[in-house]
Amino acid sequence: MRWLALIWKSLLRSRRRTLLIVGSLVLSVFTVAVLQSLLTTLDSITSNPNSGNRLAVRHKSGITQMLPRSYETFLRQQPEVETVCSLQWFGGYYQDPRNFFANFASDETTIFQTFREEFGLANLTEAQVKEYLRDGAGCIVGESLALKNGWKVGDVVPLTGTIFPINPRLTIRLIFKSSRPSDENVLHFHYKVLEEGVPRMKGLTGAFWVRVHRPEDIPRLIERVDRHFANSAYETLTETESAFNLAFVKMLGNISAIIQGITIAVVLAILIVTANTMGTAIRERGAEIAVFRAMGFSASRVLSLLLAEGVLLVGLGAALGLLLAQAAAGGVRSAMGAVMPFFADFEITSATALLCLAGALAVGLLSTFIPAYAATRRPITEGLRSVG
Amino acid sequence: MNANRFDLGGGEPIITLRGIAKSYWREALEIPVLQGIDLEIPIGSYVALMGPSGSGKTTLLNLVAGIDRPTGGTLEVCGHELNDLDDDELAAWRNAHVGFIFQNYNLVPVLTAFENVELPLLLTSLGRRARRERVAEALALVNLTDKQWNYPRQLSGGQEQRVAIARAIVTDPDILVADEPTGALDAKNAEEVLGLMGRLNADMGKTIVMVTHDPKAAHHARHQIHLEKGVLDRAVEVNR
Ligand SMILES: Nc1ncnc2c1ncn2[C@@H]1O[C@H](COP(=O)(O)OP(=O)(O)O)[C@@H](O)[C@H]1O
Ligand SMILES: [Mg+2]
Repeated sequence: MRWLALIWKSLLRSRRRTLLIVGSLVLSVFTVAVLQSLLTTLDSITSNPNSGNRLAVRHKSGITQMLPRSYETFLRQQPEVETVCSLQWFGGYYQDPRNFFANFASDETTIFQTFREEFGLANLTEAQVKEYLRDGAGCIVGESLALKNGWKVGDVVPLTGTIFPINPRLTIRLIFKSSRPSDENVLHFHYKVLEEGVPRMKGLTGAFWVRVHRPEDIPRLIERVDRHFANSAYETLTETESAFNLAFVKMLGNISAIIQGITIAVVLAILIVTANTMGTAIRERGAEIAVFRAMGFSASRVLSLLLAEGVLLVGLGAALGLLLAQAAAGGVRSAMGAVMPFFADFEITSATALLCLAGALAVGLLSTFIPAYAATRRPITEGLRSVG
Repeated sequence: MNANRFDLGGGEPIITLRGIAKSYWREALEIPVLQGIDLEIPIGSYVALMGPSGSGKTTLLNLVAGIDRPTGGTLEVCGHELNDLDDDELAAWRNAHVGFIFQNYNLVPVLTAFENVELPLLLTSLGRRARRERVAEALALVNLTDKQWNYPRQLSGGQEQRVAIARAIVTDPDILVADEPTGALDAKNAEEVLGLMGRLNADMGKTIVMVTHDPKAAHHARHQIHLEKGVLDRAVEVNR
């Protein structure tokens, strides 16, 4: 028998305790890991490395309000501006409402230049781009989306509108690759399809995406654009792409605060459950601890053994919880990645895993230390008497 | 006090108590349990500590075994002045010199008989193989080799106490302390355990101090010491 064997066997002495602690750790680590990963994913939306030189111009009153496409003329005239692209969230689905992914009506003439990193423009040939420009009922899709649906160039994708009452049939003209999987979960089609199919959208767009030459120009440009359209029928709110995405995410409420709140609640709950269970388990072993010490185990040695037990137990639960979360992450990617493109990147990062393990370790140490310390301070004779 | 009354025969003392006192306090009230105990126990003795319930037998045994500290007096056991040792040194001293036998065996329920016996050896510098040999020897001595993979709940009370005895002797201690070792056993198993303890004393030269209030058990010892209200009353040599 080795020390580890002794710790392991003592750990299994109370099945109720082991199941309770491992079970509650699995659940809470799973919850925390998924929530923290969600936060990481949401953060990554607002930290797209390519968004530094783009602005979004939208209606001051909210994302659902429209702007006249004619604003584009003014935007284009600004010396800082490189390209301007009208972009409207279409919100259609393919075959099944659950099979939902990001799809946009966008200005085909400027979309590639405006989002050239996302489309991997450097790897596309001029002929490929022209194919799309030539076909007014054409569309472009990201590779991972195409793979998931088994699409190839030339296939027809019937989209069912949910926000707009049209069901365009689009022919895939180009499949692009980009460096971030979330950027590939997207379909774009010609803006005209929306304007011509939906009379109320004629001459209107949800937002303009403006690419500037130099990021330093952004603050000045924002100020000038919003001032220019102030007091018009359609006042604008211009902001960086990150800020825009954040606003989009904020529609779902203050997710970040909620997630942090839930995380803290879960950690506290698990601390209470673990401390209580460990405390009971250790107090029940008063006689045994006294016998160990009578045999010559020092108080600090017994304390280390008890701590090792607690940490091992909690670590075991945490590891299982992480495995479960890891498995669930795949599910989240395929289920949610279709609804909201950024979930295509959803994963339990090593940072999240480490955070959970460190948290579990702290819970294990904290919850065991107090009762274990008290137990090893108790006089041996008193512990022996407790046998009755 | 007449020293002769506590003459346990000649020989080098292994346990020497000088003016040992132990009191407990209930708030400001001192409750004396042991008062001025002077006693020498020679190497190789087998002593039964007797006396009415509450007379301080367990308290005295715990002091000798180094799991409790006196409030007065000094005690030298196995060549060590116990008052001079700090808690960790005292723990190491117990591991090296004292084997414990309890009334209710106190085996670890999740460990096999073998593992229970091996437990005190984990603190020694012995390697795995050496430990295994020592455990096998100890189990053979208590005649439980065939039960070594059983868990305590798979053993009878007598067998459990024999495992506990194997655990007590596996480190080859100089002294065995036993607090009512037969208190939970029926007559037949008690006889067996007492026979075993007698052999440990006679054949292996272990010094044994056993607390008991059972005259039959005390009869197995070579001397009986009677405690009365915290003072030594008399010592009697057992005639066989
Ligand atoms: N921790 C303690 N606190 C207060 N009194 C104690 C404590 N331990 C023992 N006593 C008292 O000391 C006396 C002797 O106890 P003990 O040595 O166990 O007696 P015995 O073993 O002879 O029955 C008893 O009156 C008991 O109540
Ligand atoms: Mg007693």
